[in-house]
Amino acid sequence: MKISGAHVIPLPQERAYALLRDPVVLGRSMPGCDALEQIGDGEYHMKMKMVMASISGLFDGKVRIAEPNPYTSFRLIVDGTGKIGFMRGDGLLTLSPVDGGTSVQYDGTVEVGGTIAAVGQRLLDTTSKMIIKRFFDKLSAEAANMGGVVGSGG
Amino acid sequence: MIPEPFEYSAPASLQETFQLIAGGESKVLAGGMSLIPLMKLRLASPEHVVDLGRVPDLNHLTESGGMLHIGATATHHDIEMSPLVRGRCPLLAEAASHIGDTQVRNRGTIGGSIAHADPAADYPASLLALEAQIRLASAKSDRTVAATEFFLDPFTTALEPGELIVEVLLPAEAGKEGYRYEKLQHPASGFAIVGIAARIVKEGGKIAMARIGVTGMGPHAFRALAAEKLLESGATVEQAVATIGEGEEANADLYASADYRRHLARVHAKRAITVALSRAS
Repeated sequence: MKISGAHVIPLPQERAYALLRDPVVLGRSMPGCDALEQIGDGEYHMKMKMVMASISGLFDGKVRIAEPNPYTSFRLIVDGTGKIGFMRGDGLLTLSPVDGGTSVQYDGTVEVGGTIAAVGQRLLDTTSKMIIKRFFDKLSAEAANMGGVVGSGG
Repeated sequence: MIPEPFEYSAPASLQETFQLIAGGESKVLAGGMSLIPLMKLRLASPEHVVDLGRVPDLNHLTESGGMLHIGATATHHDIEMSPLVRGRCPLLAEAASHIGDTQVRNRGTIGGSIAHADPAADYPASLLALEAQIRLASAKSDRTVAATEFFLDPFTTALEPGELIVEVLLPAEAGKEGYRYEKLQHPASGFAIVGIAARIVKEGGKIAMARIGVTGMGPHAFRALAAEKLLESGATVEQAVATIGEGEEANADLYASADYRRHLARVHAKRAITVALSRAS
């Protein structure tokens, strides 16, 4: 399944880039994620508890940051496996300055398999979008907590 | 399949129910039409299930002060067949008749359906068009939320941990307005690919009031406000329905793409409005 969209983070581009690549912030922003633990260069172990209505499941997996191109783009790869299925997301994040902060454009694919995909096919698109939206909402909140308003000088 | 082990409680009163769910960790079981299949597939593994089956008077269908009170555990079949609902809020009875299949309508409840908040469920379109209020209560609180503020995201509602849907409140209607629930049904699941609920009141041959609720098209049900305004200001049905889904995100799956869903929403809205207009007196 292809997925794309854009969200604005209220920070100047350099700081938005740093925020997006900060494993502590990523861990806190990924819905249901406890913590990210570094296991290699740009590679992290993740434990995630997905709760959607009645559905809940633990996922164990990896987050990888690849092809860094400072301040403009990088790839974010999320891989997770659990009892109720597996998921893999691979997206290119491109940053560009806009009014009020930095626009983060994402283009990528999401694959979901196992029981959850077999019974939930009609819901994968809408729930994937919701999870991505929550991720960016939390990131924006993190950015706001840093007191980050464009023009504050970084 | 067999669910994971869980603790089971069947409280005999609302107060007892509130105590049991206060922690927000337990799962409430009403008709079980969504929860039980998920538990059997082990997609849901609640540690504690609180069954509402023995709570008395939670499935009431009454009218007072110009409002219909629909108890949370009233089944779709109760709602579909109730002379009170059919007479005073026929749109909801019509929507209930479209849900799932006979078995689901016999077991499934209005409270369970709206608490689950499937983005393709049938009720939300009608509840939005009817400007329903949903009463939520817990051990410590009792509040009423408008339907427009209840459905927030797929499977996400305004319910707080520890809260229970007690009843749905709907304005009773004098029989003058025209209504219609029009739906394209998924052939396997019975869920709405799109579902449109329309209410029309005519005065002097013109549309004095229009309410349109849309389910299945987006991440959650919504009111087609632009289309309502256009109808009320004398635009044609075609002009009005062309605005439905504009600027709204649409769902996509193997069955229907986002653009196709938007198109279906407009086609079915036109059908629903046309029937509602013919029924309005």
